[in-house]
Amino acid sequence: MRLLEFEAKSILKRYGIPIPEGVVVAGEETPVAPFSGPAVLKAQIPIGGRGKTGGIVIVDKDEDLKERAAALFATRIRGYRPKKLLIEEKLDLKREFFMAITYDTVAKEPIVIFSSEGGVDIEELAQGEPEKICKQHFTFRDGLPEHKAREIVAETGVTGKPLLGIGAVLAKLATVFIQTDATIAEINPLALTASGQLIALDCHLDIDDDALFRHPDIAAIAKDESRIEAAKAQTEFERQAALIDSVDHRGVAGRVIEFDGNLGLIIGGGGASLTAFDAVRAHGGKPANYCEIGGNPSVKKVQALTKHILSKPGVEKVAVIMNVVSNTRVDLVARGIVKGILEAGRDPAETVAVFRIPGAWEAEGFKILRKYGVRYCDRTVSIDEAARMAAQSAGRQSA
Amino acid sequence: METHPMGVFVRIHIDLDKCQDPQEVKAWTGVCPVGIFKLVNGQPVVVEENEDECTFCGLCLQACPGGAIRIEKLYE
Ligand code: SF4
Repeated sequence: MRLLEFEAKSILKRYGIPIPEGVVVAGEETPVAPFSGPAVLKAQIPIGGRGKTGGIVIVDKDEDLKERAAALFATRIRGYRPKKLLIEEKLDLKREFFMAITYDTVAKEPIVIFSSEGGVDIEELAQGEPEKICKQHFTFRDGLPEHKAREIVAETGVTGKPLLGIGAVLAKLATVFIQTDATIAEINPLALTASGQLIALDCHLDIDDDALFRHPDIAAIAKDESRIEAAKAQTEFERQAALIDSVDHRGVAGRVIEFDGNLGLIIGGGGASLTAFDAVRAHGGKPANYCEIGGNPSVKKVQALTKHILSKPGVEKVAVIMNVVSNTRVDLVARGIVKGILEAGRDPAETVAVFRIPGAWEAEGFKILRKYGVRYCDRTVSIDEAARMAAQSAGRQSA
Repeated sequence: METHPMGVFVRIHIDLDKCQDPQEVKAWTGVCPVGIFKLVNGQPVVVEENEDECTFCGLCLQACPGGAIRIEKLYE
C-alpha cells in the first residue's frame, strides 16, 4: 500500500526526520498557509513524477494561494484528481540528495541506495554517473547503525557536517523501513537548505499489505477509501474479489478488474496474465474480467474466486491460463477450480473453456481435470494457442 | 470413476488405535501447515473444511511413527 506524501511524512516526523513546515487541506477548505512567503502546493495522489505532470505548483504570493489551489484540485493528473493538497513552505535549497531503502529479493536482504544528487531520476543517474550512487545491503537483525550509514554516504564523496547529518537521516530511514514493514522507503530529495538544515522534501513509503495487521494506524488509513479518487472506482465485483484474496495470506487469487465480456479469466504469472488477456482479445474473445493468481493460493481462495467470477451475469465459461509455474501447484489450482464450478452448480467439463497451467505437480492436476472431463493442455500448447481455444469456446457459447 | 458432487479430492483418516500417546498425538496434530487437524477434548479430529488443502507434504506422517494417519486421494 502506497501512502500519500503527507501520510508518509507524518511517519518520518515520528522517527525524528525533519520535514518542511506545512498543512494539509481538503477541497472544501480554504487554504491558509501557516507561514509567510512563497509556498509549494503539492497534489496528494499516489504516483511519482508529480513535478513533471503538473501536480506540484509554486505560489509566490499569498493572495494567489486560493486560486492556484482551486485549479490544482480541478486538475486530473494521470487519472487522479487530488482530494487533498499539501501546502509547504518553499525552502531555499543549496543541495539535494537521494536515499531509498527497498528489499532485494535476489540477495534476500534490504538494500540502501544513496546518491549525492537528489531530485533526479535515479535510473538515469545510474546509467550516466554511477559514481554518484552507492548501494549496500544490511540485515534486518542488525539494522543500519549510523556509522554504517555514514560510510555509505561517504562513498559518494559527501564530507564534513552534511555527512554526519545525512548519515543520521539514512539510519533513521532504515528504522522506518524495518519498523513499518515497508517495501520501499524513499526520500527524494533530501534537501540541504541555505541555512544548513537537512529536510525531507518528498517521501515515498510503500507498506507491505500482508503486514498491515501489525500497524493498526496505517491499516486504518488503507481502509479509508475516500482518501484517493482513483481513475476508476472499484466495482462491487472487484471489491468482493479483493475480499476473497484477503481471506488468508497464501498466494494471490482475487486481484480482479471487471469488464463486460462473457469469458471469465483466471490467469496469472505476472506478465503472463497480461499476455493471456491480450491474446484472448486478439483472438476475438470477450473477457469478463482481468485477474491475477499466483504464489500458490489456497484451494479455498481459488474455489471462491471461481465461484465469484461465475456469479457475474453472462459468464458461461472460464479460461484458466498461466505460464509454466514453479511456485504455484497445478493440482491445488485444479482442485479449487473444480470445486468452485461445482459449488456454482455448473459442470466443470462444460464450464472450463481451457485449462492451461503447466508446471509443479501438473501430473496430479491433470488427473483431477481428467476425472471431471475438463479440457486441459500442457506446455506444448502456447499461451496464445490456449487463448485462441478459450476465445473460440466462449464464442461458440454466445453464438 | 465416480466423481464427488462437490469436488472432494482428499480424505484424511485417523486410526487412534495406532497412536495413543497424548504427547505424540499433540505433535502430529500441530504439525500440519494447512490446519487439517485439531484437538477436541484432547481427541484429534480432522477439520473437514481444510481437507482439500492437503499438500501431501507428509509432515504428519513423519510425526506419527505409529502410522495413525492415512491420506487417501479420491481422484486416482
Ligand atoms: S500431509 Fe501435510 S498437509 Fe496433508 S495432512 Fe499431513 S501435514 Fe497436513
